[in-house]
Amino acid sequence: MESHLQHKIQKYEEFVDGRLKPDLVRAIAQRDKVFEQQKVFSDLRNNIENLEKNSVTSLRTLVNLGSEVYMQADVPDTRRIFVDIGLGFHVEFTWSEALNYISQREEKIARQIEEYTNLIASIKAQIKLVCEGIRELLQLPAEKRAPERIF
Amino acid sequence: MHLVLFFPFLFGLFPDDVQVQCVLTDFLTSEKMEEAAKGKGTVTSLSSLFPVEDAQKAAKRLQDSIAERQPMLDQLGGFVADNASLINLVRRLPDHLHHDIMVPFGKAAFFPGRLVHTNEFLVLLGEGYYAERTSRQTLEILKRRGMALDSQVDSLNAMLDDLKLEASFLDATASEAAEGLVEIREDYAEETSSEKESEPGPRKQASSSSSGTDFTKVADEDEEFARIASRMDELEKEELEAENEAVSLEQTKDEFAAESYDESDEDEQVEADLHQYSDHKSLHQNVKFSEKAMSRKPPELTEDGIAANKESFTDQLSCLGLTVQPIAKVQDRSSHGNILASDVKSSSGKALVAPQVHNAQAVDLPRSQEVPLQSSKPEFDGQKAFTGSIIERTHNLRTTSREQTTTTSQSSGSQPPKPVSRFKMQRK
Repeated sequence: MESHLQHKIQKYEEFVDGRLKPDLVRAIAQRDKVFEQQKVFSDLRNNIENLEKNSVTSLRTLVNLGSEVYMQADVPDTRRIFVDIGLGFHVEFTWSEALNYISQREEKIARQIEEYTNLIASIKAQIKLVCEGIRELLQLPAEKRAPERIF
Repeated sequence: MHLVLFFPFLFGLFPDDVQVQCVLTDFLTSEKMEEAAKGKGTVTSLSSLFPVEDAQKAAKRLQDSIAERQPMLDQLGGFVADNASLINLVRRLPDHLHHDIMVPFGKAAFFPGRLVHTNEFLVLLGEGYYAERTSRQTLEILKRRGMALDSQVDSLNAMLDDLKLEASFLDATASEAAEGLVEIREDYAEETSSEKESEPGPRKQASSSSSGTDFTKVADEDEEFARIASRMDELEKEELEAENEAVSLEQTKDEFAAESYDESDEDEQVEADLHQYSDHKSLHQNVKFSEKAMSRKPPELTEDGIAANKESFTDQLSCLGLTVQPIAKVQDRSSHGNILASDVKSSSGKALVAPQVHNAQAVDLPRSQEVPLQSSKPEFDGQKAFTGSIIERTHNLRTTSREQTTTTSQSSGSQPPKPVSRFKMQRK
């Protein structure tokens, strides 16, 4: 009986450590990646709005060649912009088209972030559940809740 | 005792290596008691110095640190490749006045545009400072960066090699400890001259018993020195004799002799070097030389004449330093064993050749007869201490030499001065 119990607890712990926790780490990493994308697109939107506001049609900028070596680059016409739409495709947009695309893209990214947040929460809940199960199997007293502050 | 120890094994309560260790320590304590009775040396199991689990754990930790440095190395390799391609690019860019490119605008967007001012680069110097450089100057900077990267890669590689070596050593130690190797240590004890003189008797026993085996034990080094000592004695006598016959050549010989003593001193410390010289030819020379030196064959001496003998003598002397180890080696070879056994023992076999014997042997002869009475202890030691553990000893020697602080190396280092000083005293 005792050994059976031990075996079961071990199995649960293995499930938590070997499955749930790596899942959690992976989900968090993916959400971070999406956050990054969100930042990229919001930056792009800001930049395009800036160009629009200042009605800049030609641009001189510095291009990073790698290893922090820069060279001047000339952009004769800024009204056509190529935006990354994923999978290595770039689409030629005008400013308004680009802004339209970016807003849609941002919506999608927000949805993705929501999804990942839910996923992370559910994994955390599962971990908690299994830990509670182990506690019950060991017949330990329930953890005392931190005394709530009364205002 | 053994029965008690094996019971847990039968019930399977103890892991195997605990078992082995128990039996081993049991065996070792009996060995130790024997040793203690003789008051010479200690035998410790390698597994008691380096427990198997600990060695394995350490090896695993080293493997982990190797694994964790590998990505760093890969990253550095990536930097080196990037740098090389950038050098290529910077070299090529000024070839044209402008290049059509897609100018990145943020991370997700591009403008079609072109590079202008292709011979002007803005290079980061660090800390947020940039310098405007030409293509050539930029190349110099990039090459210096490449050199720094290379040195980093080299140091990391060296570190990895070190770690790998350490890990393999620990693995070897773990496996050796698991096999139950023992380490035999014996402190070098200062011997009185009387003990020294009584050495030949037991040596005969030891050498004859070990003629078929690899007999390079640390404990035997005093005996080797004694062997050298006796040979030196012979040489002294030979010299004296030669002195009488040809005084004119005495000076040069003296010099050579002095040199050879120094050499023997040095060479003893650098034993490894000796193996290079212990080829058959030099051995043969040594054999001949020792024969002459001991005047085992007086006819040869007289026939060849003193001058010829002198030449060969000086020749041999120059390689005298090399004879130290080879003698022990040659004993192992059955072909030479016969000659050398008699030649090293210097007195035990002399009785047979007694008629031709010199005053040198005449002096030695009584000495050897005293031996069994005086020093039955070392004789017993020579044979007994190594019973049943001959193979272990050779392993052991190897491991101890790898260890950082071994008494064996210390003793071998401290031994040489003694015989030498003795000779020098005799010479004066």
